[in-house]
Amino acid sequence: MNSMDVKDLRRKVENIGALPTIPGVLKHISSIIEKPDISLNEISDFISSDPALTTKILKMINSAVYGFPGRISSVSHATVLLGLNVIKGLLIGVSVFELMQQAMQGLWEHSFDCAITSKLIAQRKKLKEPEEVYAAGLLHDIGKVILILEFPEEYEKSIHDANQQCISIFESEKNRFVENHANVGSWLAEKWRFPNNLIETIKYHHAPHRSKYAPMETAIVHLSDILVRARGFGFAGDSFVPAIEPAAFELLDLTENDIKEILREMDDSLEIIEELSL
Amino acid sequence: MPRITVDKLEPGMKLARPVMRGSMVLLGEGTELNDNWIQKIKSMEIESVYIDGPSQMSVPKDEMMAQLEDRFKNVADEPYMDVIKKLVRKHIEDLYE
Ligand SMILES: [Fe+2]
Ligand SMILES: [Fe+2]
Repeated sequence: MNSMDVKDLRRKVENIGALPTIPGVLKHISSIIEKPDISLNEISDFISSDPALTTKILKMINSAVYGFPGRISSVSHATVLLGLNVIKGLLIGVSVFELMQQAMQGLWEHSFDCAITSKLIAQRKKLKEPEEVYAAGLLHDIGKVILILEFPEEYEKSIHDANQQCISIFESEKNRFVENHANVGSWLAEKWRFPNNLIETIKYHHAPHRSKYAPMETAIVHLSDILVRARGFGFAGDSFVPAIEPAAFELLDLTENDIKEILREMDDSLEIIEELSL
Repeated sequence: MPRITVDKLEPGMKLARPVMRGSMVLLGEGTELNDNWIQKIKSMEIESVYIDGPSQMSVPKDEMMAQLEDRFKNVADEPYMDVIKKLVRKHIEDLYE
């Protein structure tokens, strides 16, 4: 890994279409959503043309946790309700489902639970676009998927190091890779032309004070990651709860009662989620 | 009290919390479900309901608590982590009530 510098790695990740380990569907979706002038209609037509994708997207949106009153039965209705960026995020989210499952047992659960928790906190903080924060939670660790697929042995060793040395995967990645999963994930988010706040949430979810455009959203995903691990849900490369950044915790300004209720809502939502196997 | 999805409802189960539509109570707490009620619930846009009975926790409590301690072992002294740990611990303990 030391033979590779950051630029090489970035070039490789951005050229996702040429990565042999990435399945065709994801390459295709990637090529669609990176188009600079993609319209809501185009993306809606694209999803509708694929019955499996349509089912997955509608299932996710209609899951009780997503919280729209009544059923959403058409993709065009969904795209209008959610907007381009959220739909793009969900599209990537459902398409990496299988990939995540095979890349790391438990990573999908971790990501999905973070998405739900992020949305719960965003609603509690009365943010305008809780669905966008949901998408951020869903994709925050996407950099791990790419690192695992491209460098399976090195990543395996990182996981091993983390558990041997009782450190977080974020720490142990540093010893084997020139970049961490948060930065790698943000390169993809940029390539896919996600909005700045989504890029930043992914990039800084382990260092939320560095976020300029979306400090609140980033703090939310940061806390969600911690709560999901604390609760013992999923697996994201190590078995330890990382420390919360004090500034982020203060920015969120949650009372003990808020956190208590968030934990309860998490359990309530996740019980239903077990039924939602994509 | 377990929360179960509507497709798993069976006659004889008792509601542990009311079934609501908005702020309106459709079926009160303690209602014993029969086929008729189950059909009604299924026809509404309701995913799940709470029913009476012990929660099913698959891991014994001691083991669950030991795992919790283990997960927090690196951060016990970090700012605010004591609060988070205390709340998560309480939350998990409550699941066993
Ligand atoms: Fe992460
Ligand atoms: Fe994470």
